Amino acid sequence: MGKMIYAILSNTNSDKLNALLFGMKGISGENLITVTFNEISAVVSHIKREELIADQASAIAFAGIIENIGQHFTLLPMRYGSMLESAELIQKMLEKNYSEFQQNLQKVENQSEFGLKVFCDSEKLKDEMRLKSETDDNPSVKSDEGIKKSVYLDYMNKKLKEHHLEEKLLNYIDVVIAEFTEKLTQLNAVSKIKKRCTATILIDAVFLLKKEKKDELVQVVKDSQNKHPELNYTLTGPWPPYNFVDINLK
Amino acid sequence: MSENKILCNTDTVDLSIEDISEEFDKLKNIEDSKLSLNPENADSGLAKLVLTLIELIRKLVEKQAMRRVDGGLLTEEEIERMGETLMKLEDKMEELKKYFNLTDRDLNIDLGPLGDLM
Repeated sequence: MGKMIYAILSNTNSDKLNALLFGMKGISGENLITVTFNEISAVVSHIKREELIADQASAIAFAGIIENIGQHFTLLPMRYGSMLESAELIQKMLEKNYSEFQQNLQKVENQSEFGLKVFCDSEKLKDEMRLKSETDDNPSVKSDEGIKKSVYLDYMNKKLKEHHLEEKLLNYIDVVIAEFTEKLTQLNAVSKIKKRCTATILIDAVFLLKKEKKDELVQVVKDSQNKHPELNYTLTGPWPPYNFVDINLK
Repeated sequence: MSENKILCNTDTVDLSIEDISEEFDKLKNIEDSKLSLNPENADSGLAKLVLTLIELIRKLVEKQAMRRVDGGLLTEEEIERMGETLMKLEDKMEELKKYFNLTDRDLNIDLGPLGDLM
């Protein structure tokens, strides 16, 4: 028998926490309880190692429990499968990492995470850019013109054009990112942004901001969408701050 | 989950729903894109691993070459020689992929949250 850990949170309002957890079940059907050290608690449930199944349904159930608690408390979500053998070991873990937990709880207090994915068929976009640069007679391809005919030079010309298009695409993504990050700075949002993750995901970003600024974030994304109708935006949230907790457990 | 988590989603679909669901399928079937080595497929698994690394290096070399050409510091002869080298490297890679029955997709490892390798 071990203990599955769902989240770490401040227990300054332990009555409210216990009332919330009363009757709530963990993924194996056992009651949710707390293990406490000073002012922080871990929400845990009993589980046998053999009951810990790494499948989608269990992971979603696990996230659902964190989500429910997160609607009432600022918390640090734990990764699915985080477990220790006993309450004593959890307490020691809380003690060893106490200051880091406290710092991270302060960092994410009353904040939520939002995810933004921007989709586009990058090849189609590059085709449009290619057409535009041909009609514009863009002088930026001057290096292509200097190369005279031969099989190898033709090959280099082709590669150079592909290289220029890829650079144009990356510049375009940078412009889109710069436009919305400028507005997000005004909302005091913290961002983590990856660009050109796959051929169709051009931007994959997560933001941490105050829960009450959700509508303003939606508006920023809608404005960007209106400005760039060739891109497809999906904004999700609010989520627990999965991507903004920075702790190396001791 | 307790509420609808999609706050904003584009309906003007240039990109089809199949394209998006393909991305989600990729996340679900991440196992497919992992390098799997076991006694039964040691040869092909190793070939996939080695060719993936070679392809990554080849693309980096190609990118660096394009930067040098762009910089305008190379003579036409140097560019031609570079073209010959890169073209032969690409042809050789195609040959090896065919030999080991691998596609470009096989060589593009899904690094999960980091995106695709190439």
